[in-house]
Amino acid sequence: MNEETSAEMLSEGGNVLLFKIDDTIYGIEIKYINEIISIEQITIVPKVPDYIKGIINLRGKVVPIISVRRRFGKEEIPYDERTCIIVLEFEGNNHVGIIVDRVCEVTNVNSKDICNTPDFKNVNSNRYIKNIIESGGEIKQLLNCEKLISDL
Amino acid sequence: MAKFEAGMESMVDTYMFETSSLLEQLDQILMKTENENSFGSEEINEIFRIMHTIKGSSAMMGLNNMSHLAHAVEDMFYIIREDNPTINSKNVLFDLVFSASDLLKAEIELLQNDEYAPSDFSEVMDKIEKYAASLKSGGGAAEEAPAPAAAESAPAVSAQDMIKVSSISGDNLTTVKVTFEEGCMMENLRALLVITNIKENCAALEFEPADIETNADSSKIIAENGFIVHFRPNSDISSEYITDIIGKTANVSTCEILGEGGEIVKEVPAYTLTRIKVIFDDECKMENLRALLVVNNIREECEELGFIPDDIENNPDSADMIVKNGFIIYCKSAFDEALIDMIRSTPNVKDAVIEYKGSDTPPEETAPQSALAEKPAEAAPAPKAPEAKPAPAAEKPAAKPAEESKPAAKQGGGVKQSLISVNLNKLDQLLDMVGEIVITEAMVTSNPDLKGLRLDNFQKAARQLRKLNSELQDIVMSIRMVPLSGAFNKMTRIVRDMKVKLGKDVDLVFEGEETEVDKSIIDNLNDPLMHMVRNSMDHGIEDTQEERIAKGKPGKGTITLSAYNSSGEVIIVVADDGAGINPEKVLNKAEKNGMLTRPRSEYSDKEIFNMIMLPGFSTNETVTEYSGRGVGMDVVKKNIEKVGGSVSVDSKWGEGTQFIIKIPLSLSIVDGMEVSVGSSIFTIPINSIKESFKAKPSQLLRDTDGREMIMIRGECYPLIRLYELYDLEPSTTNIYDGIIILVSADNKSACLLADELIGEQQVVVKPWPPMLNNFDVKQNGMAGCSILGDGSITIILDIGNIISDF
Repeated sequence: MNEETSAEMLSEGGNVLLFKIDDTIYGIEIKYINEIISIEQITIVPKVPDYIKGIINLRGKVVPIISVRRRFGKEEIPYDERTCIIVLEFEGNNHVGIIVDRVCEVTNVNSKDICNTPDFKNVNSNRYIKNIIESGGEIKQLLNCEKLISDL
Repeated sequence: MAKFEAGMESMVDTYMFETSSLLEQLDQILMKTENENSFGSEEINEIFRIMHTIKGSSAMMGLNNMSHLAHAVEDMFYIIREDNPTINSKNVLFDLVFSASDLLKAEIELLQNDEYAPSDFSEVMDKIEKYAASLKSGGGAAEEAPAPAAAESAPAVSAQDMIKVSSISGDNLTTVKVTFEEGCMMENLRALLVITNIKENCAALEFEPADIETNADSSKIIAENGFIVHFRPNSDISSEYITDIIGKTANVSTCEILGEGGEIVKEVPAYTLTRIKVIFDDECKMENLRALLVVNNIREECEELGFIPDDIENNPDSADMIVKNGFIIYCKSAFDEALIDMIRSTPNVKDAVIEYKGSDTPPEETAPQSALAEKPAEAAPAPKAPEAKPAPAAEKPAAKPAEESKPAAKQGGGVKQSLISVNLNKLDQLLDMVGEIVITEAMVTSNPDLKGLRLDNFQKAARQLRKLNSELQDIVMSIRMVPLSGAFNKMTRIVRDMKVKLGKDVDLVFEGEETEVDKSIIDNLNDPLMHMVRNSMDHGIEDTQEERIAKGKPGKGTITLSAYNSSGEVIIVVADDGAGINPEKVLNKAEKNGMLTRPRSEYSDKEIFNMIMLPGFSTNETVTEYSGRGVGMDVVKKNIEKVGGSVSVDSKWGEGTQFIIKIPLSLSIVDGMEVSVGSSIFTIPINSIKESFKAKPSQLLRDTDGREMIMIRGECYPLIRLYELYDLEPSTTNIYDGIIILVSADNKSACLLADELIGEQQVVVKPWPPMLNNFDVKQNGMAGCSILGDGSITIILDIGNIISDF
């Protein structure tokens, strides 16, 4: 399934939501995006890894929240009015929210702008990056959402 | 991979459900007959019928392997039924049928997987056929036995002539012709799908051919002539809407409207109808139009109506025929006498006489029953029965149901049933919805906007709402409750198989199997029960009868499955009167596996027994097919904990072992006490709380390891600071400022320290999001979460889990 989607992305391009952490631009395929909400009260869940900030109540649904900064091993910064939670939807009505510094835009990516990530010897490198996109003179990293939430 | 052709998916569920319940029925019959060691003709017929149904429905679903296997068994029982051979090797027969039943069951399980490949049953089928052949040769006579598909007997011979009638007292029917895509196969099933789709929206519905459900040949007719549907939509729906639905059904290629406002004309055996002869006044002229008037007058009252001559509307010559022969009406209605009166009151009608009173004998059984049908007609000829007239209204409801269940059932409904089967998903949704209502109720009644206001009437109404909501909750819960007997009955089969394999003689006894639990719990209970029963059979009951008799026990072992309710929990006990657990042996084993954390002498018997449910523990030296692989009991524990239950073991060396399962009655709504720890809110289930209090310095003590304890009325309990347990920022670390809650579960008690008590509230347990389940939140004492009235989230604590670590 994972391979299939990435192959699909490679050949066809598609819409990608771009967001920023520090000055790096990341992208997420639009099919995963459920909605974008502003940061709200997060209930702490004890005894889970520190990148899981807790859970929120999204209209009656309990949604776990991941801090992308912590996930990528960066330091937390205080939330401001641009901090957002992007709610992703996965198969089986499974929702996960990710906290990002700021959401940029939705852009259409051409297949020719997409290139693969290099294979590093270390298996753990690039594990969350599916492809690299270069367009408009900027480099964007397309995230592998499944890995982002499933890798322990 | 597509397992079924398009359009079939909707039937898969039903198919699986029906087939598995049939197989279960089969198992029970087999168990019974095996115990009695004889086949009654009733049982044989029943098995035959079950196999026949499975054969048919499997073939319909395109599952040929299952169909063939069922067919083989059916054939075998055909021989048994018809030839009545002496069965010498009953065991072989039982084993064959059991194995066939197992294979079919396994196949149904497989069907639920995404990637299904039909299994090969030829081996068992060979055996069955061989056995059947041996039966046959043993039985001798009746070689011709062609094993026809039996139930299709009933020759539909009608000695009487057929009458064309218009039916369902009605007009305004729209007739459409539905054609299916060419070569789509099984047109009859697709037609059935069409009917199912529009059924709900139609006040009246008829179709041709009518036997699509039972007659596979009807698909040919449909392929050739199309599928004709007559319907009258419900009053609030247009007929376009219906044709639209038909058009959208899978594989339908065209849906052509043949006529609107038409009547259904069909042929019905004449004997089912009452024949009324109407005579008009002499010389009144235009008898055909007067006849039409009569027909229009009574049309509303008749379910089916036909007349001779039938062309009165457009053939003036029919007037002559009426003068000559009279006007004959064939009709079916609930009260013929009232009809006669209506006819008589029509202008120019001289007289109307019932010439023959129709009977309800179904058309299929014409030959044998038409003679009988004459009788009631003779017994109550009553062409004019005035006493029946005053009470037609009273007669109507009484007569209707009886009639509807017979030929009228053809019209697709009306038969009252007090049981329905519902998709579990819908019940889950209903339960979710009730949960939402409970939350919303709390949101409304404890709305911050209302704080400080004096609202007597509001409070009254709110109390009423709360009462109704809790009743609603109870009803929804009771809908989901199913008796444990189903789960228990499955065990008879396991015991039977193991009895044979292990050569142990064991009785399985049920107690309280009518106790009910939530459906979702039952589903999770089958595996644990099976493991425990196997365990009791394998390890519990002594290997030989001599061994048992030497101990002063009856030679035959007993395994008892019992269930009962106790304070919001269901307790299920699996008990055997076998050898019991030797604590020494368990300790030795645990020591060997490095599982002991304290000196041996410090373990109580109870703790020792419960060790057998730790992962990787099996005391049996030899691994058998059934148990003793070291997996099992820990899986049992996990499965039961998954549904919020707990298991414990009790045993007396030499006397037997008991597994005690406690499960909550329902999973989803708990009464909880909310406590705050820093910014977090936790919910502690009320039934695990003993008391809460502020600590006094005189109660506190520390042991040499620095562990805190609290003395309450001479008992000493460990103190668990929740903020330490969960690494939270408390508002106070001072034990005297916080609140102490004494909790207990599984015979253990402990004190929890929280910042503050917030209040009692019913909460709806929401499962953890799948992602968090990866992090063992449940093993860390958090049973689930819940949304509070103000929209914030609380975490529900699993007290048993928390204090088991202390």
